[in-house]
Amino acid sequence: MSMLPFAHALAARQDLPVPAWLFAWGASIVLIVSFFALAAGWRKPRFEDAHWRPLGAGLSRLLLGRPVQALCGAIGVFLLGVAVYAGLRGTEAPDRNFALTFLFVTAWLGFPVFSALLGDVFRPFNPWRAVGRLAGAGFRAIAGQRPAHLAYPRALGRWPAAIGLLAVVWLEVVYGSSGGVAVGLDPETAATAALFYSAYTLAMMALFGVEEWCERGEIFSVYFGMFGQLGWFGAEDGRLGRRRPLSAATRWATLPGSAAVVIASIATTSFDGASEGAFKGAIESCFDWFVDRGIGLTASLRLTDTIFMALCFAGVALVYMLGVRGMRTVRGAPSLQTLRAGFAHTLIPIALAYLVAHYFSLFVFQEQAQFTYLLSDPLGTASTDLFGTASGGIDFTILSANAIWYVQVGALLAGHVLALTLAHDRALVYWPNYRDASRSQYWMLAVMVAFTCFGLYLLSVSNG
Amino acid sequence: MRHVSKVVPALLALIAGAGLASCGDGGSSGGYGGEGADVVSGQFERVAGAPSGYAAVTGEATVERADGRTTVSLDLRGLAPDGDYVAHLHSGGCGEADPGGPHFKFDPEGSGEPSNEIHLAFSANGQGAGTASASSNREVPGGAAGSVVVHEAEGGDEAGGHGGSGHSSAGYGAGGETVLVHSGHQHEDEPGPPAKIACAQLEGGAGGGGAPGDNPESASMGGQVPTVVVRDGEPVGGIEELEYDAGEQIRFEVSSDVADEVHVHGYDLSEDVTAGGTVSFDFPAEIEGIFEIELEARGTQIAELRVNP
Repeated sequence: MSMLPFAHALAARQDLPVPAWLFAWGASIVLIVSFFALAAGWRKPRFEDAHWRPLGAGLSRLLLGRPVQALCGAIGVFLLGVAVYAGLRGTEAPDRNFALTFLFVTAWLGFPVFSALLGDVFRPFNPWRAVGRLAGAGFRAIAGQRPAHLAYPRALGRWPAAIGLLAVVWLEVVYGSSGGVAVGLDPETAATAALFYSAYTLAMMALFGVEEWCERGEIFSVYFGMFGQLGWFGAEDGRLGRRRPLSAATRWATLPGSAAVVIASIATTSFDGASEGAFKGAIESCFDWFVDRGIGLTASLRLTDTIFMALCFAGVALVYMLGVRGMRTVRGAPSLQTLRAGFAHTLIPIALAYLVAHYFSLFVFQEQAQFTYLLSDPLGTASTDLFGTASGGIDFTILSANAIWYVQVGALLAGHVLALTLAHDRALVYWPNYRDASRSQYWMLAVMVAFTCFGLYLLSVSNG
Repeated sequence: MRHVSKVVPALLALIAGAGLASCGDGGSSGGYGGEGADVVSGQFERVAGAPSGYAAVTGEATVERADGRTTVSLDLRGLAPDGDYVAHLHSGGCGEADPGGPHFKFDPEGSGEPSNEIHLAFSANGQGAGTASASSNREVPGGAAGSVVVHEAEGGDEAGGHGGSGHSSAGYGAGGETVLVHSGHQHEDEPGPPAKIACAQLEGGAGGGGAPGDNPESASMGGQVPTVVVRDGEPVGGIEELEYDAGEQIRFEVSSDVADEVHVHGYDLSEDVTAGGTVSFDFPAEIEGIFEIELEARGTQIAELRVNP
């Protein structure tokens, strides 16, 4: 017998599965919208040019100037410090400790959403970048020259970030188990991991340069930055400007390993959603199999979850690669490599949709905790009441199950449409002949329908 | 040709969409069947005071009336492997102090044996699952049956006592719409009530002749306060699901052999339970979602609360 209760120790509440009728409607709309999109596609790429228009010079100078950037960096370092301190010194109860909610809900889920709307908002707040830049400035002041860096291996691309992304989610949802029960990560482990990651990141920045590492290897810069490509604002040549939403994404996946980052994002969200629903039975069987072979409960559960997470990654990658291979068969197609990298960015809206669908309610509820008792009593030891909100709580009645369902299904549908938009647009670049471009998109359409319907399916499976 | 290549997939999409949409209406519940047949059904819920070992008992009882006949069938899980059981159709609801109330009788003044009553005797298989059905050539008046109650058969004399009805079928009387499963069956004329295991409140049944104070909204829960039994700090029979609709009153009990604090997450309600003690919860279902009920100090989940909109 195995028991796998809630993987999220933070969440006092889980979403009800989306009812069958809503699933059916969602899936039907996906198919109808998809084929409508095929029939009504535009013939000239619309997103390859970002249509970037600078904002006022004064505003640009203010926001990108040193004082504001330094302030943002300081805020980032301070908040990371608070989280680490709370994790090490605060309560063991995950839901009462500032560390877990701040790191895994406020930052981990908040930055993707705000980045997707506004652009790369994590960059100024990135604590490691702030420290790295300060160290670089210090070095220049003392040595009178720029620090010398190793050349970053080109082929490595964003692979360190892709693997790091898997590791972060693994730590969050797989590692935190005890005695065969998924109890979630404890605050102290999270804080220790953050310290190790900080040391690793600063070392890498020293080796390869701050901006270089942020662009390729720093997990959070790459991951949040990926969603930032969808957003409205972006800086070019030190100037802030407005651009066409989605358009910056068309230039994002040029580095090797970019596809792996977005695939890792979809896969890890799928795993987290499915581990308590669609895959629950299979996970329990696999877990029992390991236990029967004399492997300890905790090791068995971690092993099982690791396998299923890897399977999710392989599955998502396989579906994408099938789509890419399919496109290759269309007359005039570019090389497989070009296609593989060339359509990776079209999955970003799907990744975002998965995040929103799976974590929307968690975010809304847990942020109430973040801004009430976790803010006033970050250690969770009832020793402080900094803002007089320590006795606050989460009002779970502000979202009805119906509201959550509509947001979940709506997010998946919107992500589907945006992904199709980007894919169609990119096809027009590779296939000058419109008919060939359209034909290639039967394949991407199949990929997107698969992801969206799988997402709907995950939402509709009972967690019971 | 160019148009065809677009129209065909569009049609396929519509067909697929319609097909999917039609699947959405599949979730019908135990209502009334068509074709002149009148079917009522109910889910088995463990009754208070059930013998130990039945925490996971679940199943369904169905009473079908058609053409002057009545067929009572049941499908149970979570029984003792290879155990012998007896079930009766009762006239009362599961919410009565004695779940199910009296046996249903076609002739209220008549005998307490088939064919004036409907009895089902059966054995569970090696996995603790059992099915049985019994038919009567008389029709139970609509609403006269309230529940089906199951109990353990006593030492094997049950089969003899009821005319050798092995597993399924045998012409018995049919009556009220309660099917009770109890342990250690005793005849009506014997003293002391049998230890009942589970009761299925039949939807559309009499509901026990309107037992006063019976909350009609909890009828789907058998009008019965479910009890989560904790042994050695673990829930007996695994994590039980308690399901309610928003707006209902949530009532359940936790009886534990260890002292701990029972915590209902989300609603954030806690009650201390002493070793060997029982605590009751009674609160409105205001928050929709799925919530963990756990022994706070041990961090062990003992039940899952589910509130549907």
